[in-house]
Amino acid sequence: MDTISRRKFLRLVGAGAAGVAATQLSFADIVLAGQTRPLPNGTPILVVVTLYGGNDGLNTVIPFANPLYKSSRPGIFVDDSHLIPLDAELALNGTMTGFKSLWDNQNLAIVRGVGYPYPDLSHFSSMAIWQSALPGSLANTGWIGRWLDTQKHDPMNAIGLGSVLPPLLAGAKSVGSVLPLGGLVVPDRATSYALHRLGLPDASDGPLQAAAAASITDFLNLGKNLTPILKRPAPVPDNLPTLAGGSFGSDSSLSQQLDVVAKLIAVNAPTKVWAVSLGGFDTHADEVKGQSTLLGTVSQSITRFIGQMHGANRQNDVVVLVYSEFGRRVKANGTQGTDHGTAGPVFVIGNGVDGGKFFGDEPSLSRLVDGNLAITTDFRDVYAAMVEDVLKVPAGQVIPGWKSKLPLMLQT
Amino acid sequence: MEIARLIHRFGLGPKPGEFSALVSGGLTKARALILTPPVVDLGANQVNDPLLTDLGPFPPPKSAADLVFESARTAQILALQLWWLDRMVASDHGLTERLTWFWHGHWATAIGKVEYALPMYIQNQLLRKNALANFKDQSRAMIVDSALLYWLDGNSNVAGSPNENLAREFMELFTLGVGAYSELDVQTIARALTGYNTVRSAGTVTFNPKKHDSSVLTFLGTAGIFDAPAVSDYITSLSTNQDHISRRIWFRFISSSTPYINETITQSFANRNIIQLLGAMATSGAMSNSLHSQSKSPVEWFVSVCRALNIRPSLLPHNSNVIHYLATMGQVPFDPPNVGGWPTDEAWLNISSMQARFAFSKYIIAQANLSAINAVPATDARIDYLADLFGVVGWTLRTKSVLRTVLNNPAALILICINAPEYVVNA
Repeated sequence: MDTISRRKFLRLVGAGAAGVAATQLSFADIVLAGQTRPLPNGTPILVVVTLYGGNDGLNTVIPFANPLYKSSRPGIFVDDSHLIPLDAELALNGTMTGFKSLWDNQNLAIVRGVGYPYPDLSHFSSMAIWQSALPGSLANTGWIGRWLDTQKHDPMNAIGLGSVLPPLLAGAKSVGSVLPLGGLVVPDRATSYALHRLGLPDASDGPLQAAAAASITDFLNLGKNLTPILKRPAPVPDNLPTLAGGSFGSDSSLSQQLDVVAKLIAVNAPTKVWAVSLGGFDTHADEVKGQSTLLGTVSQSITRFIGQMHGANRQNDVVVLVYSEFGRRVKANGTQGTDHGTAGPVFVIGNGVDGGKFFGDEPSLSRLVDGNLAITTDFRDVYAAMVEDVLKVPAGQVIPGWKSKLPLMLQT
Repeated sequence: MEIARLIHRFGLGPKPGEFSALVSGGLTKARALILTPPVVDLGANQVNDPLLTDLGPFPPPKSAADLVFESARTAQILALQLWWLDRMVASDHGLTERLTWFWHGHWATAIGKVEYALPMYIQNQLLRKNALANFKDQSRAMIVDSALLYWLDGNSNVAGSPNENLAREFMELFTLGVGAYSELDVQTIARALTGYNTVRSAGTVTFNPKKHDSSVLTFLGTAGIFDAPAVSDYITSLSTNQDHISRRIWFRFISSSTPYINETITQSFANRNIIQLLGAMATSGAMSNSLHSQSKSPVEWFVSVCRALNIRPSLLPHNSNVIHYLATMGQVPFDPPNVGGWPTDEAWLNISSMQARFAFSKYIIAQANLSAINAVPATDARIDYLADLFGVVGWTLRTKSVLRTVLNNPAALILICINAPEYVVNA
């Protein structure tokens, strides 16, 4: 196998197909756009949450009633006292109290046993497949990127938070934009003028140089237009259950990212897809404590975000999708952790979601494939529902030839 | 253009006067100079090694001992990071430090998990010692390196229930490339890597034969009893290893966007001699292909700016700011984001890295000695001087026109130069 081309798509971390990135990745005036062409109420907004490292699905949505669960992973199973049962067989990890309230409100659907055919246990290959949604091909576009290709070009259609562009936002014709976290340094007038000219294209620019020049222009626009918005307080969540300890303002980077997304949605930014992420799920050792903490962060920051969407009156528009590149091995390894595995759960959250339900079959703990869970649900059935029933584009335009989908969204 | 590419990619950018000297000597001579490290690097030797000690295990959280421990631990990490940046800047000859930096990204180990400076320093010295010589030696040493073992959970890997993390990444990323092995190979090699234990704070490794799986193992077309170095020796003897490392070097030094197809270059790596491979890359003609531009990563950008302006990173005011700025740009030495290392090229050319670069520029320029620039007449001569100082073949018409508007303002001139697209990207 050709390793470089196998990795080609991964090069897109922060990139976009080379030629495309070079075209203007311009952040025009997000805020002004929010005023002059605000996203109409009722327009669906998809927030994609990527959990990097391979989240252990079995310690997330836990088959606590199955004796094989505990016997397969001595020392690292989640104890009965740290479970939140959802029914007689499955429970959430005890740190996920926020997700339990979303489940009870029928705003959270859990898709079980999600994966793709012929699982690849490499982080990099598997994440490339999840982000491209084209397993078995050497794709260099992401699934949201191909949705972007169906839309009128607008750098604000899809925005990723953080310092590099996630590959899922790279299309063949359009790429999403990146929005940095943290404080902005705004140049003074004279410097702005000089930088403005430094950002102009030059006849001798190759693709990379052109991208460097464009980033200067984007930076100036961002500073001018976005700073006042980022300084504002985040929308207040209005429907959150009171959590013991009340530490809503958790300082995790996921909650920071979602805070910025909430602010921009609240000012009617014309953005339909947002991408955020959290890393640290590669729990080969000492898994229980680390993963529980991360899951608590995921649950709490997303629950808070959903509350903020109520405050911004976008509660009916927003759908949150949470996935990881693979689940982990059923059996514990010798270092109180788990090695790379296959199937895992996917979460879909929002008012429009047919929630409080499971979709897909729970993978069997006794009929394993090479020690791994069998895939019961193809991830493209989840994506197809997002593409067709949230973003309102025929799934085949984004995942060529794909025809089935899960009924995750309520029919309106 | 080739000389400019050579000095920025196989070095870390020119020191003042170095670029024009190389250019006047011609390409062949420049190439030889850049690819031949001196026996003694006086510049790098000026930088004192960081004072690192074995801090022992973590005390109980929030105890009195913990406060003292934590401040010592963070101080040692900062000292380590600044030491390496200083070394990269001070080195007379950038090649060794540049390759050590490449290998650090290749065997990407992060202090976020290792938590102690000492094991990272030991790994760094190991990479430096093996940066240019033989990849087999490098790999054999790295597979039992304390920081790497801890990072990939190889430190308490025991016979009977092995952990696959190190085995998988060793083949996928470090030696063979994804797809060059089966899942069964991963499981089998994980067994061969059992029995090693680290004392993390000291950066030492012990081998316990009782915890080692010494049964006969069959993988990748061989069978026998293996320990970790033997696994490394076998795997690095495979032709897939020759191909994988050649491609990785191509990807990071020549082009991340054009495919690697050069069999002659791969042949030069037949005996795993790294400097021979670099030489073959540099003379292959690929360096003069205009398609093969590459971005400077944040650390490469910062180090080359400091080399040109004669700034020692550790002497910058509130020197921990250097690390904070690099963090906002997305690249801190000893702290790669994951075992795959840092991204490349376009990843560093977005709005986020641009704003961080701008803020960082202002901090650096405030410390620069501008007298050398003031000594040059405020005409186009000053613009040409700056091109030579920063190792740029010639500014674009765009950048020239901007520089002309601030000819009398040296700080603004530098700000423009180091943010110019043709400096951020090695054209």
